[in-house]
Amino acid sequence: MSAEAHDHHEISWWKKYVFSTDHKTIGIQYGLTAGLFLLFGFFLMIVMRWSIAYPHEPLPDYLSWMFTDGWKARWLQDGKVTGETYNMFGAMHGTIMVFLGVVPLGFAAFGNYVTPLQIGAPDMAFPKLNMASYWVYLVGGLVMCMSFFMESGAAKSGWTNYSPLAGYADSQIVNQFLAGQTQWLIGLVCLITSSLLGAVNFITTIINLRAKGLTWMRLPFFVWAMLVTGFLLLLAFPPLEAAGIMQLMDRVAGSSFFLPTGLYSKADGVMDISGSGSPLLFQHLFWFLGHPEVYVLLLPAIACVAEIIPVHTRRPLWGYKPMVWGVIALGFLSFIVWAHHMYLTGMGPVISTFFQTTTVLISVPSVILLTSMLISLWGGSIRFTMPMLWAAAFLPMFGIGGLTGLPLAFNLADLHLHDTYYVIGHFHYVVAPGILFGLFAGVYHWYPKMTGRFMDNFLGHLHFWPSLICMNFLFFPMLTQGMAGFHRRWYNGGDAYIEKLGANDGVNVFGLTVLEKISLNEVMTVSAIALAIFQLPFLFNMFFSYFWGKKIKSDNPWDATTLEWATPTPPGHGNFTFEPSIYRGPYEYSRPDHDADFFPQWEEPKRDTTNMSEPNEVPAKEEPQA
Amino acid sequence: MEIPFVVNARKDTGLNNSKVGIWLFLASEVTLFGGLFSGYLFLRIYADYPWPERTLPILPGLLNTFILIGSSVTVVFAWAALKMRQWRKFQVYMSITLICALLFMVLKGFEYDAKFNHQAVRILDDGPVNDFAIIEGHTHYAKLDHGEIHHADKNDEGAFKQNRIAIKASELTFALTRPVHDSYVTDLIEQAGGEDKFKLAASYAVKDPESGDEVVILEEGAPLNTDNLDLAEEGFIGGKSHDAKIRTAFLKSDWDTVRESGNQDAGWKVVVTDEWKEIQRESAEKMKGHLIGAAGSVTYTIDPPLLFHFDPDAVVNHSDEQLRLRDDTTIRGVFDVEGSSLPMAVDGIDLRFTAQRAVEEGIDPAVMIAGSWILEDPDVKKVWDAHQEWLRAHIEYLDKKSKDKGREGEDAYVPTESERYRVNWDQMVSYQRAGYTDIYQKAKNGELKKPNWIEGFTGPNHNNVEFLKAFPEIVVPRDKIGFESSFTPKWNTYYAIYFTITGLHGLHVIGGMIVLGYYLFFGRKMYESNPEWLANRVEIGGLFWHFVDLVWIFLFPILYLM
Repeated sequence: MSAEAHDHHEISWWKKYVFSTDHKTIGIQYGLTAGLFLLFGFFLMIVMRWSIAYPHEPLPDYLSWMFTDGWKARWLQDGKVTGETYNMFGAMHGTIMVFLGVVPLGFAAFGNYVTPLQIGAPDMAFPKLNMASYWVYLVGGLVMCMSFFMESGAAKSGWTNYSPLAGYADSQIVNQFLAGQTQWLIGLVCLITSSLLGAVNFITTIINLRAKGLTWMRLPFFVWAMLVTGFLLLLAFPPLEAAGIMQLMDRVAGSSFFLPTGLYSKADGVMDISGSGSPLLFQHLFWFLGHPEVYVLLLPAIACVAEIIPVHTRRPLWGYKPMVWGVIALGFLSFIVWAHHMYLTGMGPVISTFFQTTTVLISVPSVILLTSMLISLWGGSIRFTMPMLWAAAFLPMFGIGGLTGLPLAFNLADLHLHDTYYVIGHFHYVVAPGILFGLFAGVYHWYPKMTGRFMDNFLGHLHFWPSLICMNFLFFPMLTQGMAGFHRRWYNGGDAYIEKLGANDGVNVFGLTVLEKISLNEVMTVSAIALAIFQLPFLFNMFFSYFWGKKIKSDNPWDATTLEWATPTPPGHGNFTFEPSIYRGPYEYSRPDHDADFFPQWEEPKRDTTNMSEPNEVPAKEEPQA
Repeated sequence: MEIPFVVNARKDTGLNNSKVGIWLFLASEVTLFGGLFSGYLFLRIYADYPWPERTLPILPGLLNTFILIGSSVTVVFAWAALKMRQWRKFQVYMSITLICALLFMVLKGFEYDAKFNHQAVRILDDGPVNDFAIIEGHTHYAKLDHGEIHHADKNDEGAFKQNRIAIKASELTFALTRPVHDSYVTDLIEQAGGEDKFKLAASYAVKDPESGDEVVILEEGAPLNTDNLDLAEEGFIGGKSHDAKIRTAFLKSDWDTVRESGNQDAGWKVVVTDEWKEIQRESAEKMKGHLIGAAGSVTYTIDPPLLFHFDPDAVVNHSDEQLRLRDDTTIRGVFDVEGSSLPMAVDGIDLRFTAQRAVEEGIDPAVMIAGSWILEDPDVKKVWDAHQEWLRAHIEYLDKKSKDKGREGEDAYVPTESERYRVNWDQMVSYQRAGYTDIYQKAKNGELKKPNWIEGFTGPNHNNVEFLKAFPEIVVPRDKIGFESSFTPKWNTYYAIYFTITGLHGLHVIGGMIVLGYYLFFGRKMYESNPEWLANRVEIGGLFWHFVDLVWIFLFPILYLM
């Protein structure tokens, strides 16, 4: 079980833990870094939620003790969050959660750790490139976050960074390279470079380093999902890089890629630019990435859940092949739905109709994936272990997230719901209780492989149940608020709107008013703070179980069938102690012809197979009598 | 541990790892440049100004195309030589490849340099209609003095003024609410010739929070330097932080009072009540004695007033009495009209935008052009009139051509917009050579002599005595400048996409040079231990090199020819 035996040569501490080229170490580095970024993004969100629920009250000490007096004097007004600060936190919350948190955690951390193990490879195809992508990611992230301490503050133009606002913001800063909005772009270019290197590495590894006998249809679904995710990152990110470079030029070289003619600002009058640029071009380039990005977020989580369900229900994944084809179709379709984010830009009804159609189409493969996993539960002997609980909760939560997206796909309904809290509720249901739950499931599932110990069950329950409840109290009210017309960028949560209109607030198309839903702000804020508190058991659990958790008794503690469980625990450098050969598909559970209720991919068939009809039927004994 | 398939191909995929990797990388590169190319299309289709067609000198671009294609061939030879284990041959071919790449970058450098030093101005005419006339030329131009060239020194403020905004300043106000930009301050001191030319108008003092006494930070009459400004800034921020703390504490206690009184509401329900307004009034009263209220600016006087010049990019806006820099520094005085004007040696007159605006406004282009401000200059007028002569001859030529080929009506040949409304530098030279007389006749006889292709390799040469005579000098007052820039990304979206896309391509060329150069200069060791691996690497580098070449083959027509 010891991994040390296989480490022949001594590696220095720095090379082993910091500048490591080992995919497992890099995966863990990604995971920890992304985790810290997630916590930071979460903190920004709680500050915002405070100002939404209590817009006239100063931030309480527990949210403001970490700010210096100078920072407070610059960015808070009498201790209250200003609109500018709210915008800054909002833009950075989105950016951090998407680009620095969830993508690195799902794709880079889980993908790095699990993929080479599951395909029986000693490491990634390009280990040094792998290390480079982590460090470029870290630099990009730090560059973005550093701008919080600059004169300009961090970026304030939303995570979508739309021009002309984003092209003009912070233009008063003399040295543009020290403006938050510019740093955002430089950070973004670093992040794109990083994920590009990662994507090339992942796809090459999956294509070329599969173990003997691991044919395409024997690949675990996780690997398929990573392959598709890799292609999405590879092909969708570069157009955003192009957009980022163009916007960078707008900011530092004074060009007008995205700045229209006659742009005017109250402070500076007609701007000294050539004009003739196209803000719409930025939106197209952004969402050409932006939509596939949604699936880059989602697929790793689905991948984790699809791995966990068979193991913990002792039943093969239902509809493996449709799921594989589904995920491939999803990948293709995700490239042609981007403009459904842009119905309100005046693209014209023809283009809107096209994107409406493709958007409805893409729900087909999504539903195939979700339904297959749901049916996989049917008739299984479900073991409610910690990973399974999270995976089970993922299904309905992601279901809500997905189904609430349907009204947004239709441009008539979207006219009313666009830029309201309904949209926020929809995609947060996908990302927070959906994707994050899937990834939590993954953490609990693979923790024993990484450390040799289980995570504590009691702390796990203390993490799971309150999180489930708080998530719903946090995000469900957003859907109703959105239908009542709450705008997503109101920094005071509709307070100023009500104060102005009072009883004159008319009933909208859904028969709702802002006034009757505004008290939900407090419910959501309290839930958000409670949610933060109930992540503490998880953080403690990760640390506690590493030293004192229950030790595993074998290298395959869950009795699973896929290859990562054939390695020593934790896997040493080079992963496998034998050269793995693959004999069967990834989810051979409860086979009637096999003694154990699982038949690992790498286990040689016991019986003489020469006169057996493949794959596993009873050998033909006698010809039936004529 | 060894990664499999580093050198040899995997049987079922038929590829080694790096070849899979490079093809994937190139796929992503296709979408990267695809994004930029679609940007080009978008900008060109939706451009609301006449898109500059064929404005770049074609010859250097064409030469570069052949150079790059050549290097793509030699890189294949270099790879083949390695496959045949011929090290010398590999060295030769790889060296040729690298020299080609270097040559490409050098030509590119000349092209860029010419653009950076080429100024353009869009005229703002506040007459009945804004005429949008464009003149191009050089600002730090060389001057002819008795037939000899005098080069302008970039820092020479004498005869050859640069593109500067000038003001005779008597008062300066620095905003302390934002950090003052240090290089602006040092520049001001340098221009004035000493920090003691500036005197602090009134002493800057901040109240001490403990005792309530005024503490003087800067004495009245203190000189201007960055240290002093830093002191004032520190004092201001200290005061502001202190005030913020007090205000926050009061607001907190106000809310506590509301909560204690049994009102558990939040937000607007509370702040609209009379009770809350009363509490606020009381707090404001109580706070008064505790607040510092530091002044947010310091003002210096300059006596006697001095002339200062500023880079137009540093100036946000200006009026007759003052101008504001980007760090919110305000400079008051008398705007120097003459010093702020922009002298140019004009090597291009472009009235296409004027014609387009005329059509949009429903005016006859000829009328609008005739009223254009730039044609008030006699030298420019002379060139423009010569051009009209040439145009007349050209139209006759086209009519004849149409007749000969039997094309009538819609199909007949007509002059392009560029021919009609734009005078290029080589045309200017030809009119000058013809002495501006009988242009019509000379054009008909084919006697107009444009500069040959060597003379005009990278565009107008302002160091050529003969050419300089053809380029009229004109002084554009600052208030006639609608928009000005050198031919950089700022000038228009065409140059923006041109620099971005060729710049990115240039970075790819440099990247390729580094990689291929590494194989050439540091490949010997690997050649001796594992020549096949080196051959693989060169193949991968070569694939990338072909991609770089391919991008250029698309770039050349869309940027130079179309």
